[in-house]
Amino acid sequence: MTELTEPIEPQKDDRTVIGVYHLTRAYGDRNALDDVSFSIGNGEFVFMVGPSGAGKSTLLRMIYMDEYPTSGQVVVGPFVSTRMRRRDIPYLRRRVGIVFQDYKLLDDRTVFDNVSIGMRITGASPYAIKRRVATLLNDVGLYHKRTQMPSSLSGGEQQRVAIARALVNHPSILLADEPTGNLDPDSAEDILRLLFRINSAGTAVLMATHDHSFVKNFGQRILHLRDGKVLEDHRTGLVGNLSDRLETVRLERERQRRVEQEIKRQRADALSTRKSE
Amino acid sequence: MLRRIYYIVDEAFRTVRRHKGLTSISIVIMSLSLLMLAVFLLATDNALRLVSEAQNEMKMYVYLKDGVSENSAEGLYQKILSQPEVSEVRFVSKDEAMQDFREQLGDDSDLLSTLRTNPLPNSFWVTPKEEFKTRDAMVDLAGRIEPLAGVEEVRYGREFLERFASVLKALYFVSAVVGFIVILSALFIISNAVRLTVISRRKTIEILKLVGATNPYIVAPFIIEGAFQAGIAAVLSLALLFGIAVLSRGVIPDLTFFSPEKSVVYLITCVVIGSMGSFFALRRMLQMR
Repeated sequence: MTELTEPIEPQKDDRTVIGVYHLTRAYGDRNALDDVSFSIGNGEFVFMVGPSGAGKSTLLRMIYMDEYPTSGQVVVGPFVSTRMRRRDIPYLRRRVGIVFQDYKLLDDRTVFDNVSIGMRITGASPYAIKRRVATLLNDVGLYHKRTQMPSSLSGGEQQRVAIARALVNHPSILLADEPTGNLDPDSAEDILRLLFRINSAGTAVLMATHDHSFVKNFGQRILHLRDGKVLEDHRTGLVGNLSDRLETVRLERERQRRVEQEIKRQRADALSTRKSE
Repeated sequence: MLRRIYYIVDEAFRTVRRHKGLTSISIVIMSLSLLMLAVFLLATDNALRLVSEAQNEMKMYVYLKDGVSENSAEGLYQKILSQPEVSEVRFVSKDEAMQDFREQLGDDSDLLSTLRTNPLPNSFWVTPKEEFKTRDAMVDLAGRIEPLAGVEEVRYGREFLERFASVLKALYFVSAVVGFIVILSALFIISNAVRLTVISRRKTIEILKLVGATNPYIVAPFIIEGAFQAGIAAVLSLALLFGIAVLSRGVIPDLTFFSPEKSVVYLITCVVIGSMGSFFALRRMLQMR
């Protein structure tokens, strides 16, 4: 790995899974990403937070090399963006699991077949595929639904299938682009728990989300992105265990809802009193 | 390796099974455009057969002067036979010619009974070798036989041959041009039919790319699918063509259908066209990362 990676910045780290060095991506005269640098270590969990249009998805696309930087460099394991050949890309994708907001499952095949597709392309034996897929579906709690079509599953279940598919080739990092964006709070929580569990088993996770309040209490590293720049890169404080933290999120949501309701009520009151005067 | 092939073939037929409607539509479109090709090929095939039959009947008649002795006739026979172009020479005597003529006339042979002498000359019927059955070779050969002693006249249907040669040239030209257009349009139509399935499976292609499938793995199922569809379409078009040929026997009695070998070659050509069409339809998809 070391002979391949010669980052512009001398912050080499053998534990690095993703290194982003002075990355700029321009679309026309607009910089979607502007001189972004950071790295993610082996087994790390990072939230990437920022409003929509901040460049989160663009950054993720640079990492799985759907696009290349205008300047700067992305390093993923032995793959260096400035030295990629088109035919290397599939091999990069096998080491990076990707999950999207819209799941991107194939509606014309079963849950099992959706997960196994990533292994079939590598030419793995049917036996190995069966074992690995069964393990993963068990992990995400959907083994009993393996013969169903994705369309018959709930959103949260579909996302869990997508996560299982992303993990099938033992990637060193899982990229998740707003994985909870389409889900109700309970399913979103489930997905987040699942991602934590995956991370504790050793896979690095980079999850992009616009919902800061949802993720700020988990004691994870948070990368704030705004207007294509890294605003802040810090670790939040840890409050209790995971369930407590999820409870905190719930509590906060509930309080926020109550406050909003109260504000609405007061406004309505004010209006009606003004009318009656 | 074998396993990969199995996965790829499985992938190809999975779509055929899942999208029966779309597959049948594109098979119908393909078979109609291939029918166009097949009609053209059958027409060309028959035209060429007629040409070669006409060529096979190409003969030269060498008429001898009256009163040529048997000896000099024998010498002449040897001389003609020794020409490099000649494969066969047959002597047809006056009497034989008259007999022949009588038979040809049939009921009208009474006409001949008024004749006191036989006006038909002795002659040699010369069959040239296969490779010399061309206009130029015939002119050349006639030029050498005509001045020989005892020869009255050499006939070989000169005008016919001349017209024939230019017709042949035109025929080759037209069939080359039309063939080119027909094959191109078949390729175009098939490529578009495959594009339908490609578009309907854009998401599959996108996902395959995301999970790290290599281009060959993505493309191969489409090629197999295209070849499979074209194969079925080819069989259908051949069946349709056979029906048309049978129906038009009344109008064109000489029409012959493809020989089994030619049918096989046609099927293989169609399968190749089908896979090429798929490949062209996919080329743009391959440019994506």
